[in-house]
Amino acid sequence: MQQYNSLTPELIAELEKITPGRVVVEEKINPDYGRDEMPIYGQRIPSATIDVLSTEEVSGIMKLCYDNNIPVTTRGAGTGLVGGCVPILGGVVICTARMTNILRWDDDQFAVYTQPGVLLQDLKAAALQRGLMYPPDPGQKLGTIGGNVSTNAGGMRAIKYGTTKDYVRGMTVVMPNGEIMKLGKNVIKTSMGYNLTQLITGAEGTLGVITELTMKLIKAPKFEISVMAPFSTLAPALDAVPAIFKSFRPTALEFFEREILILSEEYVGKKVWPREVEGEPVQAYLLLIFDGDSMDEIEPHLERITDFLLEAGAMDVMIADTPNKIQDIWSVRSVFLDAIFESHKLYDENDVVVPIYKIREYVEFFVKEAEQYDFDVCYLGHAGDGNLHIFGVSNTMEEEEFKRQIDLWMWAMYDKAKELDGELTGEHGIGFGKIAFYEDYVGMPVIELQQAIKKTFDPKMILNPGKVVFRSEGVQLPGDNNRPNRGKVDER
Amino acid sequence: MNILVCVKQVPNTQEISIDPETNTLIREGVESIVNLYDGYALEAAARLKDTDKDIKIYVLCMGPPQAETALRECLSLSADVAYLATDRAFAGSDTLATSLILSQSIKWIEGHEGIKFDAIFCGKQAIDGDTAQVGPQIAEALGLPQVTYGYTCECKGDELHILKETEEGKELVAVKFPCLATFTKPSFEPRMVSAKRRFAAKKMEIKHITAEDLEGIDRTKIGLKGSPTRVKKSFVPQARKSGTIFRGEEQEQSARELAKLLVENGLIVSIGEGG
Amino acid sequence: MATTKDLWVFIETNSNGTPKNVGLELLNPGRRLADEQGGKLVAVVIAQDVSIAAKAAGDYGADCVLTVEGPEYENYSTDAYTAVFAYLIKKHEPLTLMIGATGNGRDLAPRISCRVETGLTADCTELSIDEQTGCIAWTRPAFGGNIMATILCTQHTPQMGTVRPGVFKRPQLVPREAEIIKESFAFDPNDIRTRVVEVLAEVTEKVDLEGAEIIVSGGRGLGDAVGFNLIRSFAKSIGATVGSSRAAVEAGWIAHAHQVGQTGKAVSPRIYIACGISGAAQHLAGMSSSETVIAINSDPDAMIFSIADYGVVGDLYKILPILQEEFRSKLTV
Repeated sequence: MQQYNSLTPELIAELEKITPGRVVVEEKINPDYGRDEMPIYGQRIPSATIDVLSTEEVSGIMKLCYDNNIPVTTRGAGTGLVGGCVPILGGVVICTARMTNILRWDDDQFAVYTQPGVLLQDLKAAALQRGLMYPPDPGQKLGTIGGNVSTNAGGMRAIKYGTTKDYVRGMTVVMPNGEIMKLGKNVIKTSMGYNLTQLITGAEGTLGVITELTMKLIKAPKFEISVMAPFSTLAPALDAVPAIFKSFRPTALEFFEREILILSEEYVGKKVWPREVEGEPVQAYLLLIFDGDSMDEIEPHLERITDFLLEAGAMDVMIADTPNKIQDIWSVRSVFLDAIFESHKLYDENDVVVPIYKIREYVEFFVKEAEQYDFDVCYLGHAGDGNLHIFGVSNTMEEEEFKRQIDLWMWAMYDKAKELDGELTGEHGIGFGKIAFYEDYVGMPVIELQQAIKKTFDPKMILNPGKVVFRSEGVQLPGDNNRPNRGKVDER
Repeated sequence: MNILVCVKQVPNTQEISIDPETNTLIREGVESIVNLYDGYALEAAARLKDTDKDIKIYVLCMGPPQAETALRECLSLSADVAYLATDRAFAGSDTLATSLILSQSIKWIEGHEGIKFDAIFCGKQAIDGDTAQVGPQIAEALGLPQVTYGYTCECKGDELHILKETEEGKELVAVKFPCLATFTKPSFEPRMVSAKRRFAAKKMEIKHITAEDLEGIDRTKIGLKGSPTRVKKSFVPQARKSGTIFRGEEQEQSARELAKLLVENGLIVSIGEGG
Repeated sequence: MATTKDLWVFIETNSNGTPKNVGLELLNPGRRLADEQGGKLVAVVIAQDVSIAAKAAGDYGADCVLTVEGPEYENYSTDAYTAVFAYLIKKHEPLTLMIGATGNGRDLAPRISCRVETGLTADCTELSIDEQTGCIAWTRPAFGGNIMATILCTQHTPQMGTVRPGVFKRPQLVPREAEIIKESFAFDPNDIRTRVVEVLAEVTEKVDLEGAEIIVSGGRGLGDAVGFNLIRSFAKSIGATVGSSRAAVEAGWIAHAHQVGQTGKAVSPRIYIACGISGAAQHLAGMSSSETVIAINSDPDAMIFSIADYGVVGDLYKILPILQEEFRSKLTV
């Protein structure tokens, strides 16, 4: 078992030398530094938190902690959903959220050099001012770019533009022993050995601390139009999805249901979306984005997609082509998570990915499955890439019973996702909350291979311990208690 | 029943900024939109039409030929017929001259279509000029009663009942047809554009009204020259100067120093309940 | 054209006959401009009972008060009030007419200007005399507060303008007897074409931002609706009114009645405390005439700091409680 030391006053004094005035300990620690947005996976106040400002500071902290066996957990804005930045073994929390400088723009090779604490919304806005776009588009725009890279955030535009990993060109990483590595270059191609930038992307801060990033940008499309189609039932909406790609190239294709829309509209205090069409209630919506460099390029698609959607059973088709309308409809879409969290005491979620032609089967499965439980279900999804967001929520259940029922439901859902050739998570990661399911999902040979990689990077296992591929001993994980009876997963 | 909605095409003022070098408005790249409040007026008309299919919605805009885009947006939302009052002679009109042109255009449309408008709806103000004058001035020019700052409205027999904003809260005001009402932001957003309507709107004819058409209009009372007011100058408001800003790392210390300064300088003089 | 050089100020009243602030405020610039133009400063009061407002107008410096009294004027109506003004203007021919840019003022002024065919400038924030023409130079914000425009009306009288409440301070109060001219003008109540069916109680709290001495405003930087609890408690402790930026209203965190800025209220309190507000032009348009601006924002480059008299770069959730605590310790006896 890994042995860690506690943070002594002497070590705190050493840290204070590295980051004067920014080492926060004991009751002065902001409790937010001990959690992310999914508190059901546990919270823990670390021994110290440090808002770092530079690579050198991070290097100094890591070296000190490495030499003294102190666990270190890195966090950005703390908007994760799987407990990835929660310091479950205590120790030091490094927060990069104040490393908010955009360092340099490369307007010729379309890239930006940035510190990791820049918020996604700020990076996008700054790029747009230069006529450039950072395409990955997770719903949560208040996360940091460092956090986005660490979870390989996906978002709504993945079908046309890919996910965060497709935009990482280079990074400066501080290794667990304090060594500073500069990986990758601002070029389009590379064929040099193992691709370490891609390995660290999505590693959830378990392999190194990202302190600088080179992110690819693209020329921003000049026009964007949103197309929205209400349906009286969900099934035809989902059935339409695969066919859409045979004839169209949308930038985003989302689906969601009536309940979640109403929650969100109440949350933002706006009524934008139609809830009924000619007296008939709307149950589900498809939302598409088309973009391009001229309206002439987009316009022909609009008439065709309209006919297509009506043919597919849409009650109506609406088009938002003015900035205000686009802002209105997306302001509702972008707060779905907040609206769900705000209106429920207990919530848990997953973000499985299934092939797009199996979304309907999957949805019908987990809805049916949930009927035996006491919690409510709401869900939405990136219909275009099969990445779903499925929530179990309750305002009335006891927490322990809620967790027990959710565990059972999660196991069933992950089993089904595997059966349908899907993935366990599309963009939220494994963190702490999904380790037990992940082990089972990929099997121990894959886990062990990944553990070997982890050990190579972090032989003393001090960086974000107890996450992703290593469970820490004696710590209860979500899913452990209610594991389906299929024999032991493996010896550990 | 016939309702006419007056709309204006305006630059999206939310996007306008000042060029710090030249101290002038940067208009480049700022798109033109239908004035938000006119959108609310149109939505109010559309909601009446939702309950009574016999209602016909006309839209009228004064502006350059490019303002057709704004009218097409209205057609794709809910309007049935669109008119554009466009003529070089109209350019530079202030609110009084504009209201004269619009009121004459309204009369012309009534003659041309062989109808009478039961109600004229306007936005409470345009977001570029923010004057809130043209609506009441049209009402005066046409001798109609007016209700301003409406949220929503409904038809009750020969009356229009308008829920309106007041300084104290809200009031329900009744006015007999024909009348003019101006609208502010209600608790909902205007409907979305139906794709089918949008495609149809692209092909619809937008009739132009020129100064020539408005036979009775006094040419000395329109355009830049006919306007009683004129802009003498425009300038970027003088920026206030920045004072004592604590930018140190020690926020807590900064806050304490600020509190001390505010009390010493006699700015905060008492502390009450909850303090 | 006008035969007098008189400057008229409309003293808008509440239905109980008391004057609204803005009319009395306008007597301040009105005095200065009337003197410069060599005319009288005339207050116009229209009410069911004009006595209180007429007395106040005199005390605040009007040379003369024109009054029209009658039960039909108890509540404002476009039809009756327009008719009164049209009558008075025709009879007395003032050079200038200023009206407070309240809801009613902005309903009435354009109606009058069209009836008497003259120019009107809306929502002015600065008033002076144009040297070249001797006319009133009406200055107002436009384009979302990004620019100011100065407007003249040289060929028509009265030169008319509406002026934003809260921009000017009331003049010094000096009790005295102004000349009162009682005009009798009756308006048949049957000719009032609008009828109030129902006055709806405002469900949201009443927010008097324009009259507030101190305003504490919250913006996007609060992060969520709950953040306004902190703003409210802080505001309460220093006797302030709660304001907000458009971003906070649009996010649904607080009612529109609290919004300060181009599309909200224009305010000029003694102290304006902006918390988590970046300071977009739209917001500045509504609050930059505040006497003292204090800004708290975590973004050191926030625009608001460039116009703030005092400020702290930092987390408002940390700073406000400290300010509150410090005020208490320093000001509690």
